[in-house]
Amino acid sequence: MESHYPSYSILELKEDWDPHTRGIVLSRLYREHGYLFLDWSEAEVLQSLCSLLCGDTRGEILQYVVSHIDESLHKQYGEGQRKLHVPEERVLVREGIKALEQSSILRYALPFFQLEEADRRTLLLELSEARMEPQIPWKNTPQKAFFQKVLTLAIEAYYSHPTVWSEIGYGGPAYPRGYIRTGFGQLDPWEAKRER
Amino acid sequence: MMKRRFEKEEVDVVIVGSGAAGGVIAKELAEAGMSVVILEAGSSRHPQKDFASDELTMKNLGWQETRLVDGSHPLTLGHNNSGRGVGGGTLHWTGVMLRFHASDFETRSRDGVGEDWPISYEDLAPYYDKIERDIAVSGPLHFPWGEFHGPYPYPERDALSPNAYMFMRGCETLRIPSAATPLAILSAPFEDRPPCINRGFCNQGCMPNAKFSTLIVHIPKAVRAGAEILSDCMVTQVVMGDDGLAKGVIFVHEGKEYEQKARLVILASYVVETPRLLLNSADSRYPDGLANSSGYVGKCIMPHSSHDVYAKFEDEIRLYKGTPVLASTQHYYETVEARGFARGYTIHAHGARPVSFVQGIMKSTEGPVWGEKLREVALDYNFYGRLTMVGEVLPDLGNTVTLSEEKDEYGLPRPLVTFSYGSNDLRLIDHAVESMSSILKAAGGKVEYVVPDTAHLMGGCRMGNDPASSVVNSYGQTHDIPNLFVCGAATYVTSGGGNPTETVMALALRTADYIKSKAKRLEFSGSMG
Repeated sequence: MESHYPSYSILELKEDWDPHTRGIVLSRLYREHGYLFLDWSEAEVLQSLCSLLCGDTRGEILQYVVSHIDESLHKQYGEGQRKLHVPEERVLVREGIKALEQSSILRYALPFFQLEEADRRTLLLELSEARMEPQIPWKNTPQKAFFQKVLTLAIEAYYSHPTVWSEIGYGGPAYPRGYIRTGFGQLDPWEAKRER
Repeated sequence: MMKRRFEKEEVDVVIVGSGAAGGVIAKELAEAGMSVVILEAGSSRHPQKDFASDELTMKNLGWQETRLVDGSHPLTLGHNNSGRGVGGGTLHWTGVMLRFHASDFETRSRDGVGEDWPISYEDLAPYYDKIERDIAVSGPLHFPWGEFHGPYPYPERDALSPNAYMFMRGCETLRIPSAATPLAILSAPFEDRPPCINRGFCNQGCMPNAKFSTLIVHIPKAVRAGAEILSDCMVTQVVMGDDGLAKGVIFVHEGKEYEQKARLVILASYVVETPRLLLNSADSRYPDGLANSSGYVGKCIMPHSSHDVYAKFEDEIRLYKGTPVLASTQHYYETVEARGFARGYTIHAHGARPVSFVQGIMKSTEGPVWGEKLREVALDYNFYGRLTMVGEVLPDLGNTVTLSEEKDEYGLPRPLVTFSYGSNDLRLIDHAVESMSSILKAAGGKVEYVVPDTAHLMGGCRMGNDPASSVVNSYGQTHDIPNLFVCGAATYVTSGGGNPTETVMALALRTADYIKSKAKRLEFSGSMG
């Protein structure tokens, strides 16, 4: 898996961005505080879970992803919608992590983050299809809802990280600059140029 | 303590909600000399300071407060279809300005489905004209479908986006007419606002003020005409008097309860919160909620079906460039019997930034895409093009907003939104996915992902002439309580097959005219205006 734009770095454009946006994007590069909702062992499970969900092992990006999930659960912005009979997100994530740990121990006699990658993948694949055995740890926690919740939170953070923006060749924040050449195949000088 | 001008007074009008409906009607009534208070649940933002070019941060423009969802096709709410904050949904809409067609008001008589509206296209035409002039809609020289073919007040946007050109190329190959989309986004300066800079973040809030929202257009005009806007004020109850008339509303600001007395109460709080407020205002005199003698409050809600089709191209498209929606076709809008379903849909070329792109792919019909597979797709983000549909969904009594057992931060029951597609809806979606796929292929793409989604909400307090099967008359006046109005998409009888906002604004103008004429003749209660 290779970027089409290996030498493009979106952060080189940061002086073109409005200060509000710049502050938001740059804050993703540094950890500003400890966890507010998760305890360290939950964060550890979550980080190895997010690594598989995002398909990435880079610690600094995963750290931001986990911090985003922690902050979202702490601040309780509201879930937009929640399916009837699904526990509210704080309970869903906490109980889901617990159930994943229990499943891991029952199946492999090891905590989730210590599993071989292949075993972690197996568990996650089963989880995504709501067929993880044994069912007992998941009695009150719907597998699919837990998987979807963590995936959604992880993905929205991962694809908001400037390093990932650079890799996919995204133009990024665009105020006050905007775009001028928007015809088919046209590029503005500051956009990522395809290298392969 | 909150400071407000009309604390002790009974104002002429209190309006709940400040979006496309509430903003427009507030301006009209305030400029007619009425005393107006607008209550908005969310905060008031400054576009250049509080908006950001960032998807994740600007999720907060949606109504994020948790609603419960159920049914065979539980809806995605929040940013998907509603707004919170002064400006409501107009803060994060794509600015698409489409009129309904004449057939939309007569689906029962013409096609034997849905219900007829108590008004026709002709009743709304002058209001469509006015709203397009009021905000200088930019549109094509010739709009090929429906009753209105242009010209629009401002020229179409030029240039469009690579994704829009890709779409138009595909349509051309298949001999399907397409056009630049009529937009509430300026193509040239208007009033104190500049033209669009092709930033592309319409869904995250327009920073340069090129896109119309009621936050920057109608609410400031209403305030200049003497209206008061109170933000961070969640209305929890409509207060009723012994005479069977509404007396005002109760609202909560920073944990404290207040009352605003008014001669007229207008609910412009969209499709979930309007029925919810009417149901939550139940008491011993109105055990089933207010304005609900028909039992239709919260019934027949409709989203638009809005499946997306993603195709991969040899050359870069770059979905982030330019306004998200710039080209469309309504070639499949009207009923064609041979297609095997009634009614139709609009297709838009629809751009996407990375988060919405991957969150779409993730929910693709072929099962969850995540991890390395998703990352692989994302690395080719710039090579994808995307089309979306806005498909008519027929009204069904089983699709409802009701009250759940669970309580929110105000101690009020959370709404439960139940939705399932009907068989006509599903056949229509299949057809649209097929059409979108053909266009993408004709443009040189390889179709990779089909993503089920919905957009917009309509109904829940539908209009009609018969008080036994509708909540309001064609002016939004409730059949049961003459000084209680519903304004906006909640009054829709059917969904139409195009974006609903222009019709919301046209209906708001029509309701405003009605109220002004009645107020002059003192027909509500006491003196007014």
